[in-house]
Amino acid sequence: MEFAAYHLDDGIYDEMLQPNGEPREHSRLLYETLCQLSSEEIGSIQERVTRSFSNEGISFTVYGDAEANERIIPVDCLPRILPAAEWRHLEIGLTQRLAALNRFLDDVYGDARIIGDGVIPADVVRDCPQYRSEMCGVSVPHGTWVAVCGTDLVRTNQGFQVLEDNLRVPSGVSYMIANRKVVKTSLRRLYRSSRVRGVEHYGRLLQETLRELSPSGRNDPCIALLTPGVYNSAFYEHMFLAREIGAELVEGRDLLVNGGFVYMRTTSGLRRVDVVYRRVDDDFLDPLVFREDSLLGVPGLIHAYKLGNVAVVNAPGTGIADDKSVYAYVPDMIRYYLSEEPILANVQTHLCRRPEELEYTLDNLENLVVKRVGESGGYGMLVGPHSTPEEREAYAEQMRANPADFISQPVLPLSRAACLVEGRPEPRHVDLRPFVLHGTTTRLVPGAFCRVALRRGSLVVNSSQGGGGKDLWVLED
Amino acid sequence: MLSRSAQGLYWMGRYLERAQHLCRLLQLQVEALVDRPVWEIHLGWSRIYNALNRQPPFGGIQFDKRDNYTLADSYTLAGDLTFERSNPDSVWNCFALGRENARQMRHRISAEMWISLNLAYLRIQKLSIEDIWKTSPENFYAETVEEIHTFSGVASTTMYRDEGWHFMQLGRCIERAQLSVALFLAQMATAKLYQDSPDADCTALLRLYHAFDAYDRKHSLEIQPDQVLDLLAADPMLPSSLCRSLDSAAEELAAIAHGPSASSSAAARRLAGRLQALIRHEWPDRQDREAMLRQIGEHCRNLHNQVMAAYIDYSVDDAPVH
Repeated sequence: MEFAAYHLDDGIYDEMLQPNGEPREHSRLLYETLCQLSSEEIGSIQERVTRSFSNEGISFTVYGDAEANERIIPVDCLPRILPAAEWRHLEIGLTQRLAALNRFLDDVYGDARIIGDGVIPADVVRDCPQYRSEMCGVSVPHGTWVAVCGTDLVRTNQGFQVLEDNLRVPSGVSYMIANRKVVKTSLRRLYRSSRVRGVEHYGRLLQETLRELSPSGRNDPCIALLTPGVYNSAFYEHMFLAREIGAELVEGRDLLVNGGFVYMRTTSGLRRVDVVYRRVDDDFLDPLVFREDSLLGVPGLIHAYKLGNVAVVNAPGTGIADDKSVYAYVPDMIRYYLSEEPILANVQTHLCRRPEELEYTLDNLENLVVKRVGESGGYGMLVGPHSTPEEREAYAEQMRANPADFISQPVLPLSRAACLVEGRPEPRHVDLRPFVLHGTTTRLVPGAFCRVALRRGSLVVNSSQGGGGKDLWVLED
Repeated sequence: MLSRSAQGLYWMGRYLERAQHLCRLLQLQVEALVDRPVWEIHLGWSRIYNALNRQPPFGGIQFDKRDNYTLADSYTLAGDLTFERSNPDSVWNCFALGRENARQMRHRISAEMWISLNLAYLRIQKLSIEDIWKTSPENFYAETVEEIHTFSGVASTTMYRDEGWHFMQLGRCIERAQLSVALFLAQMATAKLYQDSPDADCTALLRLYHAFDAYDRKHSLEIQPDQVLDLLAADPMLPSSLCRSLDSAAEELAAIAHGPSASSSAAARRLAGRLQALIRHEWPDRQDREAMLRQIGEHCRNLHNQVMAAYIDYSVDDAPVH
């Protein structure tokens, strides 16, 4: 395999190669191995990886795509490599960030000191659709509102930056493990020589975290993973995790609340549930408290939760902390709660709720990415440089009508990693989503779901928008 | 275990058994197209449709002595029973539903079971009646049966023997018993229509149940329809006989702990026991086999309903709490 035609761009960080075309030190072994492989050999490795995903049915569902209910997630066989020091930096930064976010949630649903002290404007919090007034005054076990966090990180020539925090029901960890399982066996000698840190113990760490959060006095807690069902885009992951942590995979109809306790319907009667690891959005969790038309949730669940008879993970209401407007204040939260400087930087963000920032955004639409605060998964986004004048005009109209619904950010030159495209290495933009767990203590496996924008030139890495995955190797010291 | 998981595994067992049974029937039927007389081919199709309680796509099956018509009709009928999406009992649908139940219960079955089933599903999904008809359609049916056998073998060596296993096996046994009853009744009905038919038809049944050798050992080489039916229905040593299916259903049910209501699960066990008694002790002396088969079929449907009521759809008001 040759890298002669591999395109490097001074403005874009390449994960494998330096600007002079030499491999970065931590990627040298990978580079040399790839150079020794023929196109046929690497092609057959890729084919094997793809076939393995298909045979194992490692899929996701695309909403509104009736033809392809189960779509196999595309995976690229070339790993992306992070040296130990870079990972250590991320690990410390992510731990710091999650600590501040949990403190923020505890505060904002409590005394709201951060608002009183003028660090965050009250309307940014209270106008946010993810703010759940029902959670005010609720004391969550160990102050852990977010037990499972999936933070999206991108790298530019300036270093790593946090693109967004996913604090509700972050997904992708199953693909991280599936990628590893198949890529390491396909590149077995390289993997062994590279001294890569394992990620396969994620299930054990998640189980330990969930057990820590179970109501006190329950020695052998019963954990249930609540899924919206088989039509949910992440159903494969729900099933995968239920198996990994030895939990029952339940839907709302399997659970009921009686006398303030949650039970599941089993073949021998009702069994008390201690921890609900929910993969259902707040809106649908409990029709008595949130959306009353929800058929996915469990009537009375929030009542049982407030009584302390069951743990709900992540806690309802955590969406306020990953709102795209609130995101802009996370560095201030870190300074406010922890008295520390943020280790990981935010992406510069313009809140269109502020007239001057709206004006700036409208004037520079062509060069910005504009996002709706309530959307995720890459939906409802305008990527300025890739948009038509008509699209920009239509978007601008919506922004003028509801400025608070929008934020804008510069178009980031996301770093690129080598991907196998038609038998040749080609650079594609990537990000990474590590998963941080926190019960009474913080745990994370050294790895992440590395997302790839598979379409040439595309910056959108979301699986639902043509993105795929890549294995991320964190090396030992 | 979670009631819905038990239900999913139970239905997975049922659908895969149904797919396998139909594949075996079709395999023998398309083999007959090679060298059997036209009337026998018609009889075979009539029996299959009768057993499935389904109307053929172009109305009734007409007896026509011309080979060309028979082959063209057979192509349409095989397509209807194998790949037709609107036919809920087609092989394609049974397989897809079995696999869908497995997909939803992947955390309850072994990874090896899932992969073996998914691989078979991916193969079938790509095919059409045109594809399999081009060469030898019997190979397609044989391969599909083989894949289901492989799945069963993988399951028996890798699946944890908890309640999930027993519910899956129970589903298979009840399904097999019901399919056998329906097939025997269809055999009786078609025999009446083709009264001058010789024994070739019973030969196909013996092959379907892998019972040729057993019949040879027990009886003479001369095929007697009554003796064939006795063997297939009431011989406890024949692995897929009706009797063996009912014995296994009772055994699986006994292996599952009592449900929330002891009386409901006891009622299901009693019914399973009654079914065993019927086939083992009453069958040999009963003259009216057809009525007895109908009675067994009715009891099988009730057994299914009682299992659902005892373990899956029970009222939570009086259910014990653990």
